[in-house]
Amino acid sequence: MKTIKVLGPGCPKCKTTFHNVEEVVKQLGIEAEIIKIEDIEEMMKYNILTTPVLMIDDVIKVKGRIAQTDEIKGFLKQ
Amino acid sequence: MENQTLVKEICPTTTQRWVANGAILVDVREKDEVAQLAYDVPNILHIPLTQFEERFTEIPKDKEVVMVCKSGGRSLRAAGFLVNHGYDNVVNMKHGLIRWAQKGFPTKGDTSSILQNAATSSCCNTSSSENKKSCCIDSPKNESSCC
Repeated sequence: MKTIKVLGPGCPKCKTTFHNVEEVVKQLGIEAEIIKIEDIEEMMKYNILTTPVLMIDDVIKVKGRIAQTDEIKGFLKQ
Repeated sequence: MENQTLVKEICPTTTQRWVANGAILVDVREKDEVAQLAYDVPNILHIPLTQFEERFTEIPKDKEVVMVCKSGGRSLRAAGFLVNHGYDNVVNMKHGLIRWAQKGFPTKGDTSSILQNAATSSCCNTSSSENKKSCCIDSPKNESSCC
């Protein structure tokens, strides 16, 4: 099972990224745990500077911008 | 500003004292933001957050450093990044340029837009005369509860 984390302070871009992740997981019908991290201390543990950040299985895939559905699909199919 | 324990935070008034004692301000706002309105202090570095990972080594480790931005959020993340990279003398300035300008501390550029925004977003919602009064001056030990 994939673990997908979306890190960000709750800004519109973060919400869009989270929504895109949910949509892709639904479309692909895969089992995944989707975690939203808005806590600043938790974010600082990952050395996050620009948000939102998309992490899959603890690897940063996208940072500082919205992750689009197509690219999320690509990451999840890898 | 936010509930966390990794980075020490100070208010703009305390920052003024740090600057007077030789601390360096590091402004992580983007170039266009700095062009519009900048902190006017002697020792300042501009390292936009988008370039921070590549350029953070420009910040000296042997000096006291105060991280700043517009409202204190981005600079807090940058301060956390520095702490994680072995910087011991780093603090974050809470509330950023908005509060700094509200208090009438030195800036270069046009403060009108930032003060206009602040009037609707400030947690203090104080009049300009009240803004001059620092919560830190009144209670120097009470930095953690600065508004």
